[in-house]
Amino acid sequence: MQSESRSTGLPMSPTGAVLLGTVITIGAIFSLRPGSVLALMLEVGLFAALTLKRRAAAAAGYAMMVVLPLFAFMAAVWVIVVGRPPTIGAEIAHMPRTAALVYVAVICARLFIVIFIVRVTLLQFSEMTPLQFVGRLALPLLIKKLLVLTLSLIETLAHAVDRSRTALITSGLMTSRFSLRNFLHVWILIQTAWLTVISIAIARIRDKWPIENTMARLDDVLGRFAVRFTSIDAAAALIAVVGVAVAWSLG
Amino acid sequence: MFTTPRVVLIALCAALNFALGSIVFLIKLPIYLDSIGTILCALLIAPRAWVAFSCAALAGLISSCIAGLLINPFLPWFALTDVAIALVSAFITARGIAIFRARPIRVGALVVRVISYGVLTGVVAAVVSAPVVAYLFGGVTGSGSALVVAYFLKTGQQLMNATLLSGLTAEPIDKSLQVLLAVLLYRATPGEFIDLVHAK
Repeated sequence: MQSESRSTGLPMSPTGAVLLGTVITIGAIFSLRPGSVLALMLEVGLFAALTLKRRAAAAAGYAMMVVLPLFAFMAAVWVIVVGRPPTIGAEIAHMPRTAALVYVAVICARLFIVIFIVRVTLLQFSEMTPLQFVGRLALPLLIKKLLVLTLSLIETLAHAVDRSRTALITSGLMTSRFSLRNFLHVWILIQTAWLTVISIAIARIRDKWPIENTMARLDDVLGRFAVRFTSIDAAAALIAVVGVAVAWSLG
Repeated sequence: MFTTPRVVLIALCAALNFALGSIVFLIKLPIYLDSIGTILCALLIAPRAWVAFSCAALAGLISSCIAGLLINPFLPWFALTDVAIALVSAFITARGIAIFRARPIRVGALVVRVISYGVLTGVVAAVVSAPVVAYLFGGVTGSGSALVVAYFLKTGQQLMNATLLSGLTAEPIDKSLQVLLAVLLYRATPGEFIDLVHAK
């Protein structure tokens, strides 16, 4: 991995991208007025267009896909059922349902920004493996090790669930389609999958890993990744802070 | 404190949180089931309460971070709830390990403890997560509990109160179920693995 993010316009490091994402997320969450949320959306959109180019549309599409159903649900609850926002100013007291719709729109726009920036951060490093991405984060070694092991064990657990499910379907306890029998026996599936991964974990801890010296080698690999915080990272973080401040002032 | 078996246990429990939480999130069940790993981690390390708390909290936080990046971007905002669940599990729920692992099973005592610890965990989780739900989501998270929030708002409650009351209605049931599943997995876990985790 010669370049930190070959496919993107800005050569940021994972640590820098995560920091920038955190600044934007905090900025979005504490934006209370429609003006500041809109300004922040424009800023984040511009940043995504610069870094991801055409793939920014995919990130926006994903965020839309998550937020739109939530918007519909929230609008139904606040506009139709409740019929007013939680607090209402005197200037819009005569149209509480419109105020409720604006309230829902602001909340959903904030959530959109949060999802969008997380997606943009991930897409910037889509060519990296999880090990490479985690290795380059400025985190304590224990946390990096836990993240890598968890990602690996999620795969192991998924395989265990697949195998157990196949065995339970073969034995007639579950079906391959949605059914009441599946609901009644889901507990057996969870227990079987858990026992499978526990057996694998015991074998790894007691026999496999000590022979292969796996944990020491993992420490070594994670320690060898260059954790850099480049001048571009610092500049991007600074611009993000200024951008958030400008957005807040526009509210 | 963080021996290799404990590190593996934390990762396993985080993976369990992630896997069950993702299934529930993707098929939109009206429950969460994303803290079973956190509770189980505390039970497996008990009775050493502080070690159990540290490991369980780490399992909850790691699974929230990964699920936040891959499945549900809002989960990391409930990090404090994970820590609170780890705290209750390590210092209170773990007091029942003798009954949870008793063979033959003592059904009555187990049910009483599961319900009481589950309700307590649920109340704590509701109180800690209410400000996040009220502020970040405006009280409506897209789950069925939003209708309870709407009902309380309609009856004239403030948003924060409505969110808290909705949480207090739904969380004890969800957390009792989670404590029950964690206890059943704890009973099923081989003693060999528990010995590895307890070894210094």
